[in-house]
Amino acid sequence: MELGRLEYLQALVTEFQVTDSTEAKEQVLANLANFAYDPSNYEYLRQLQVLDLFLDMLTEDSETLVEFAMGGLCNLCLDKTNKEYILEANGVEPIINCLSSSNEETVMSAVTTLMFLTTPRSRAQTTALPVVECMLRFSLSANTRLSNLASIFLQDYCSPPQVEEARNLSRHTAVGIPLPKD
Amino acid sequence: AAGSSGGPGTPCRHHAQLGACESRAKYREGWRPRAVKVYTINLESRYLLIQGVPALGVMKELVEQFALYGAIEEYHALDEYPAEQFTEVYLIKFKKLQCARMAKKKMDERSFFGSLLHVCYAPEFETVQETREKLQDRRKYIAKATNQRDCFVSKKVEGPKKTASKNSEHDCPWSTLESHVASYWDPSCFTSSPGVSHNTAYPSGNQNQSLLTSPHYDNNCAEISGYVGQNTSLTPSVHPGGHTPPASLMQQRMVPAYSGIDRFMPRTTHLQERKRKREEGNKFSLIGTSEDNTEVVIGPQLPEVPKVDMDDESLNTSATLIRNKLKEVADSVSTTSVEKPESSSAKPLVKQRRRI
Repeated sequence: MELGRLEYLQALVTEFQVTDSTEAKEQVLANLANFAYDPSNYEYLRQLQVLDLFLDMLTEDSETLVEFAMGGLCNLCLDKTNKEYILEANGVEPIINCLSSSNEETVMSAVTTLMFLTTPRSRAQTTALPVVECMLRFSLSANTRLSNLASIFLQDYCSPPQVEEARNLSRHTAVGIPLPKD
Repeated sequence: AAGSSGGPGTPCRHHAQLGACESRAKYREGWRPRAVKVYTINLESRYLLIQGVPALGVMKELVEQFALYGAIEEYHALDEYPAEQFTEVYLIKFKKLQCARMAKKKMDERSFFGSLLHVCYAPEFETVQETREKLQDRRKYIAKATNQRDCFVSKKVEGPKKTASKNSEHDCPWSTLESHVASYWDPSCFTSSPGVSHNTAYPSGNQNQSLLTSPHYDNNCAEISGYVGQNTSLTPSVHPGGHTPPASLMQQRMVPAYSGIDRFMPRTTHLQERKRKREEGNKFSLIGTSEDNTEVVIGPQLPEVPKVDMDDESLNTSATLIRNKLKEVADSVSTTSVEKPESSSAKPLVKQRRRI
């Protein structure tokens, strides 16, 4: 079963790299992202460099590919090894950029991933001022799922001074990360 | 549906049933046609939205059907949710995420009184705290499954290094991945972690699952007294080796699925209270297990039977009776007597199973 799994994942990755079909790419990426939910696959996914694949897809034009890749990262980033890998690969930046996506699933995956990636070392990046400001606005969203996640981010991962600073900033500035369109 | 993601009770994009994918390559075609969708912890929820329920006054039957997959905390109709003619929409809140996951998997696209049900997660109904707990559970599950936790309890549970095993209720009382993050959450609030994932199959897990959905199970659960009497015939697959079923199965057995819809009345959730009681019980059971256990443990320890206080005398009695019966079945030589219902602090000894 172990061998079969690796071969299967390898086949998925190969198909993704080889195919011209947008549909097939989306299907395979979704498949990989779902596999990323299960820790027993992590060794294989690392071996097959699927983490890099997910990170690369974050800058694609296709909203769907970004959504699936962001979901994949959200699924596997809690594992310590994966987390360190993503942080080392400067993954935080493209993930923060996903906060401005118009796709709500992408945004929510990004919010959760930032929470999961927060460590003493990465904290400065994951809770940078623009991010906190963004979360402040998300916390006021009519979208309950988004506002819940943003509230948890602010309450559990930011210090009160950080939140206060962001609040002051948003009072004076119009520029910011826009809310996702529905 | 307009597709806007508003508050709870309004149609959301993630409720929409996507068409099944027609164009999959053969090697990755599954058993059933599936849509192209990625499930993250954000999308999953203890709350399930059920559409397509025929408006025939079958709420009781619906809830009974779903209760096969785990304890249900709340349920009610969603009158304001747009529904097709002659159908209704319901919300069912499971006690555990993994039960909701299983129920969704099994009940989605199932025929129910002549109508096709559409079951999806409804995370928009979660409170902030429920979402927080969901994320924390996921964190703990990953930490446990990948064996990456700093355990403050000196007496560790023996087990293999890396297995995505079933949830263990008597795991470390708290897990910290980084000290920084630990400062942000309350170590005393822990719940069992989700065990089943999307793309793997656990052999023993499947065994228990078939137990859940086997047709004769309904009959055996008709009455609690009947259940106890027929327990040996119900659990032939449990007996050899004498292992305890996973926590979710235990939870489910404790919810009597007999007539009387009042059993499924939405109970004001004393979640914190139960959790607190469970935690205290688990703390003792963790330390106690290591001392009592004189057997050589091979393979991951299966969860102890959780002591659930049902806040109801009769339910507690029933739960204790079931627990004792299972213990009798598990032990080849029964030396213990039936526990009194009041002794809720006593825990049954569980024979460790050798896992293949």
